[in-house]
Amino acid sequence: MRRKNTHTRDNSQSVGAGKENNKELPVEEMLWGDLADIKALGLYPPPRLAQAYVLWQKYGKTFSPAEALEKGTLFPELYSPYPY
Amino acid sequence: MDERQLMLKEIQQLEFVAVELNLFLDTHPQDQAALRHFYAVRDKLLAAVKRYEQIYGPLTVVGFTPKTCPWQWIEGPWPWEIEYV
Repeated sequence: MRRKNTHTRDNSQSVGAGKENNKELPVEEMLWGDLADIKALGLYPPPRLAQAYVLWQKYGKTFSPAEALEKGTLFPELYSPYPY
Repeated sequence: MDERQLMLKEIQQLEFVAVELNLFLDTHPQDQAALRHFYAVRDKLLAAVKRYEQIYGPLTVVGFTPKTCPWQWIEGPWPWEIEYV
């Protein structure tokens, strides 16, 4: 049974417009149009731009309750005085 | 800031500290110092809530309000009526 390709937008607008659409498409292609084009644009798989390294938090000094509520955290090492 | 708001402020502060310690302890379940701090804060918080509720009425329905008639829950100010200055 040929499954009607209902996921992608109107095929004429999708990136792989010229692709013959009668065979069953793998999910990525159904969702992304022509995967080759998407890969050419560098969108998939997404490049890894950075590697986050977060220190394991140790319990130490803490703010007083009043100060903690006002500053938004109990731990001085997590407090950022900058408005944004 | 009248007495009532001061007590509410204290409860809010203690509750915030309890939440912060809760989040910390979720990832550091063995931390003795944090555990001691949390239990100390919890006792202070419960005492503060009890004091407040016995004077000004319930913060939560299942709190420490004395078992009086009439039903207290509908008497107190609604949260949006309280000035948290």
